Amino acid sequence: MAASGMGKGVFRRVAIGLPYLWLLALFLIPFLIVLKISVSTIATAIPPYTPTFGDISTWLDGIRQFTFENYLWIASDSLYITSYLESLKIAAISTVLTLAIGYPLAYGMARAPQRMKPLLLMLVILPFWTSFLIRVYAWIGILKPEGLLNQFLFFLGVIDAPLIITNTPVAIYIGIVYSYLPFMVLPIFANLDKMDGRLLEAAADLGSTPLRAFWTITFPLSLRGVLAGAFLVFIPAVGEFVIPDLLGGSRTLMIGKTLWMEFFNNRDWPVSSAVAIILLLILVVPIVIFQRIQDRQEASR
Amino acid sequence: MKTQSLGSIRKSFAPWADPSEKPLIRFENVTKTFDGFTAVDDLSLDIYTREFFALLGASGCGKSTLLRMLAGFERPTKGRIVLDGEDLTGIPPYRRPVNMMFQSYALFPHMSVAKNIAFGLKQDGMAKSEREDRIAEVLKLVKMERFANRKPDQLSGGQQQRVALARSLAKRPKVLLLDEPLGALDKKLREETQFELTDLQYDLGMTFIMVTHDQEEAMTMADRIAVMDQGHIRQIGTPPEIYEAPSSRFVADFVGSVNIFEGKVAKKTGERVTLETPSGGVIEADNGGAAEAGSTAWYAVRPEKLIISAEPLDGPNVFSGEVWEIAYIGDMTLFHLKLDDGSILRVSMVNRARSSPLQLTWHERAWASFAPDAGLVLVR
Repeated sequence: MAASGMGKGVFRRVAIGLPYLWLLALFLIPFLIVLKISVSTIATAIPPYTPTFGDISTWLDGIRQFTFENYLWIASDSLYITSYLESLKIAAISTVLTLAIGYPLAYGMARAPQRMKPLLLMLVILPFWTSFLIRVYAWIGILKPEGLLNQFLFFLGVIDAPLIITNTPVAIYIGIVYSYLPFMVLPIFANLDKMDGRLLEAAADLGSTPLRAFWTITFPLSLRGVLAGAFLVFIPAVGEFVIPDLLGGSRTLMIGKTLWMEFFNNRDWPVSSAVAIILLLILVVPIVIFQRIQDRQEASR
Repeated sequence: MKTQSLGSIRKSFAPWADPSEKPLIRFENVTKTFDGFTAVDDLSLDIYTREFFALLGASGCGKSTLLRMLAGFERPTKGRIVLDGEDLTGIPPYRRPVNMMFQSYALFPHMSVAKNIAFGLKQDGMAKSEREDRIAEVLKLVKMERFANRKPDQLSGGQQQRVALARSLAKRPKVLLLDEPLGALDKKLREETQFELTDLQYDLGMTFIMVTHDQEEAMTMADRIAVMDQGHIRQIGTPPEIYEAPSSRFVADFVGSVNIFEGKVAKKTGERVTLETPSGGVIEADNGGAAEAGSTAWYAVRPEKLIISAEPLDGPNVFSGEVWEIAYIGDMTLFHLKLDDGSILRVSMVNRARSSPLQLTWHERAWASFAPDAGLVLVR
């Protein structure tokens, strides 16, 4: 009995401990490394910063060399601040656009006949079978001046000069909305699908037209899904790199691109680490708000 | 027939018996099919103002479909429904002067009790002050004044039921539809609420239509009951009519407990018939006007109409058998007698005294008998 009880205790500790170990190894330690690099100084060396912690005897000396120079540099250069603001703006607008397209999609799916739902769900998930990178590349083929879209519009006679979409913010919005749409649709669908249809009957019974019933009953009750979807789109969109790089051209300033340039073009690891740390801090705010709301809703149940 | 004396409990209230009275609601040859399944089959029904009408039946009998068609959630496949002279066909639920109390209550979970009740009033564009008065009034009616600011999930089942009732009453509909209104309540609360609902209906002077599978609920509350089965109405009548004068074996069996004897009509003199059961028993029965000599008929008699004895009994309609089951329920005792042909005869005895003079126990022989007019002869 005692042995099996102990065995159970060990199993429990392992089961609870594993996720923490995972987070420690793959999140906290890398975070600390990046944090450390962000307070280091650029150097012509391998790795290209100083101090490095090779020998334990030099640690104390190394810590004395830590500096907040990189953060001050970021704060003083408008390039970084503009990049952050631009990223937040693009992410926010993209989130609103994704919601505007995703909500009706999710609503239609939730109202579809029961036997159709697995198929529709499949269709939403299907794009994930192709690599994200390839799908974004495919958009270049569609949107470029001699691309499919322009050819089609020429064919229809709608335009006589090609629309310039690639290398503009419009292309970034298209890319982000397209790529992140499933993350908006799925939580909203999950929420609408389990809504009690009798609530709408009750609303109609009490004299509410279908449109009013939507705004007073359906939408408020689906807010939780809307919120989850909005954060699932907004948070990764802020740090998005591939889409602005491939579709947005060289003039777009998004923080993911700035970070990439700092790291690969300038080989300035300390500044790019500082950029990453600040990005993380900016994103912690919406994540905490999201958690708060979730907890509150959980508590009110 | 004796059935003529079986009237409404509310003595002067019987609009259905008055040919000059116009019905408030008419179902005219209404049929509803779902993917080839006929839920309601060519059904016609009149319901009168101020009536408390119950649709009684097992699940799947079409009673809820009937109610949902009246509310406007389902469209009749054929036929039409007329309310107060107005054809309801094509009128959406949000324009019908009826309100429904849902089985699951369907309270809006994100709104307080007061907001739930205000919802319907807002749709009518009622002014705020008037709205508040009305909310207070209906909350008082269901004794829930103290809970106006609670959310539905902070209420017990019984409290939610009251809020749902208040919400459906707030708009003062011409007709209130109740879908299994007490289904989710426990027995004690259900019994209390039954009387409250009937009182409320009487005081408000509203027409109530209730769907229920619980015959006791229907009997307690309704002025008239329609017993439904497979999309048809098997019988419409006041509770005493349904119980004491069922028109068929189905209704007799569905409402309450009953012993049914099958037999051939051996002799018929006016209302009095003699039935011969296949096992050789003879039943002398009154109320046999509908049975024809030589045909098969059934005699239905309720367990409480029989007497049981440990000694042989005299007179007609005496059956003897072995005591097979005894169920002491408190207010009464139920006996199952196993007759010689193997069938079970149910007899119930009211326990008037605290100790019963009848000392019967399992596997003893007992005798049971009933008067010729204790039951009735059925031909269906």
